[in-house]
Amino acid sequence: MINLTNFQRPQRYVGNEWNVIKKPHQGKIKICLAYPDLYEIGMSNLGLRIIYGLLNEYPDIVCERSFLPGSDLIIHLSQSQDKLFSLESKTPLSEFEVIGVNIGHELNYTNFLKILDLGGIPIYANQRADNIVVVSSVSNPEPLADFVDVFYIGEFEENSKIFVDILKNCKSKPERLRALAGQEGFYVPSMYNFYRKANTYFFEKKYPDVSLPIKRAYVRDLDTSYVPTKWLTPHTEITHDRVPIELARGCPRRCTFCQARDVYFPYRQRKVETVKRLVRQIYETSGYEEFSFLALSASDYSHIEALLDEMYPFFLKHQIGLSLPSLRVDDLITVLHKKLLKLKKSSLTLAVEAARDPLRNRLNKEIDIKKLFEAAKVIKHLGTRRIKIYFMFGLPGEEEEDLLAMRDFVNKLRSESGLMVGVSINIFIPKPFSIWSDQKMETESNLNRKRQSILNNFSRVRNIKLSVASVKNILLEAIISRADRKFSEVIYKAYSKGAIMDGYSEHFNWQIWEEAMADSDIDYNDYLNNTSDNYPWSFIESAKVINSCK
Amino acid sequence: MQIVKFPVKVKLKKFSDLIFFSQLDLIHLLARALRRTNLPIYFTQGFHPRVKISFLSGLKLGVEGQMDVVFYFREKIQPQDMVRELSPQLPKGLEIVEILS
Ligand code: SF4
Repeated sequence: MINLTNFQRPQRYVGNEWNVIKKPHQGKIKICLAYPDLYEIGMSNLGLRIIYGLLNEYPDIVCERSFLPGSDLIIHLSQSQDKLFSLESKTPLSEFEVIGVNIGHELNYTNFLKILDLGGIPIYANQRADNIVVVSSVSNPEPLADFVDVFYIGEFEENSKIFVDILKNCKSKPERLRALAGQEGFYVPSMYNFYRKANTYFFEKKYPDVSLPIKRAYVRDLDTSYVPTKWLTPHTEITHDRVPIELARGCPRRCTFCQARDVYFPYRQRKVETVKRLVRQIYETSGYEEFSFLALSASDYSHIEALLDEMYPFFLKHQIGLSLPSLRVDDLITVLHKKLLKLKKSSLTLAVEAARDPLRNRLNKEIDIKKLFEAAKVIKHLGTRRIKIYFMFGLPGEEEEDLLAMRDFVNKLRSESGLMVGVSINIFIPKPFSIWSDQKMETESNLNRKRQSILNNFSRVRNIKLSVASVKNILLEAIISRADRKFSEVIYKAYSKGAIMDGYSEHFNWQIWEEAMADSDIDYNDYLNNTSDNYPWSFIESAKVINSCK
Repeated sequence: MQIVKFPVKVKLKKFSDLIFFSQLDLIHLLARALRRTNLPIYFTQGFHPRVKISFLSGLKLGVEGQMDVVFYFREKIQPQDMVRELSPQLPKGLEIVEILS
């Protein structure tokens, strides 16, 4: 066994969290959830926790976890006979029948390949004899198609039984894949011929009984859907060190740039009673000192006031902190601030996106700016020391004034609130499944120019913490998120040339990717300029953006 | 209003898997363990209340050993009661070996 004391932050690899599930392997189907990022990030992922708890509820399944190791352990594993292992039983990944990977982000793709590689699993799906690699939490699966046996599209909770039954009843890999390919939410890329002719993508089934189009699976009833109440509690700090409780899934709004509203369609809410019960149960099993109420837009939750009222005595008695990450400030002033005032810790983020009304209206981002500034005055009484505000640039229809107006907006917010303001400025990507998926990405040279003008404009503003997305990084994210099956080759080449942790600026290396694209004869502008008549992801049913508007 | 705090001092043994966890990790771990009990925990006053725990001695990362730790409560409790409630909430590798006061 590897001597953990030789590595940085050995806590990551111990696997002794409170409520960890360790089952004997004998006679069970072995699944490992491998997360393509470090332990601290992966353990902050709610999806991973839900699937881990849920699969372990089945007596015939043993489900363990593994994470991308730190660079020192990566080097050790690549240079020795040791393989990447599961935390619970220290079993090499290659010994698991199923490897489940919750990808989460486009810039995790090379990490995903690294995990397979370190775990002793062939990277290309067609070279794997027995292991089945299942990937979830990707919006456009195509660039990963060559590496993945099965994609799961959508929410897993209500289909876990189908999945487990197929693993139990079908013993060989081909049988299992064939059976999964006809089920809701399961997409098995090897069962289809996908190709591009001129400007159109074609999708053809190889067998009559496989699904096409692919329907995204979703949880019908959020109140009864599975939540792991024996909360896995790390003994060391993780990135989001709090218990997220979902108030709702989906979003009733329809911001044009937003992918999440379609991917988590439709909008579903949990009852106050359910939320209360979950908080109590999880507090009792974990002793966690902080919770967050999660929803794409928490203040759209119809019972937010009632919930805060009813939860307040419990939070106060146990001195539990609460964060409401997706609060809308205009609600703050009307009702919420009186309630939040009573809670000890509350963090505040404002996704304003555009500083001027006309552009914000184009985005469908409904915020009452007058109320927002009134709210700024009460924020300082909430025990919040910092406000975080989000903007975007590179938006269709954006003017120079929009960029300049960000500074005035921030200045005003700062003076009205008297607080430190964190300003986070992102770059627009026409993401798959968003209403604006058909828009063109702003050109690289324009993005660079705009970024510089934003930086210049903010250069003399004090008492803010400014972070502006880097152009190359976003460019890569945009390319990967919109690419087609041909791009698998690029990912493999970039990985082989050393690309890893592309989401971390200290690791990101654009040159590797540029070379890999050139080697594969890919002009990435093809993806960014929306040159095709349909999309590489058109075989997945969208939530029908238009029909869903209120 | 100043709340009186009642200290209970114990000797804790750290061994096995827990040797990989730092002093800071232990503070969080013990606070959560206490929160899982029904003991009348004492919280620090101020804007961000915490469970108050003091380490009178520490241990290096990666080594087994013992350390003296003080827990605080809002009411006077019997140290034996605390040990009985807290012990089942401690992970393998952490044990209360002696009540010091
Ligand atoms: S960006 Fe708009 S549509 Fe998307 S989740 Fe937030 S409020 Fe909802």
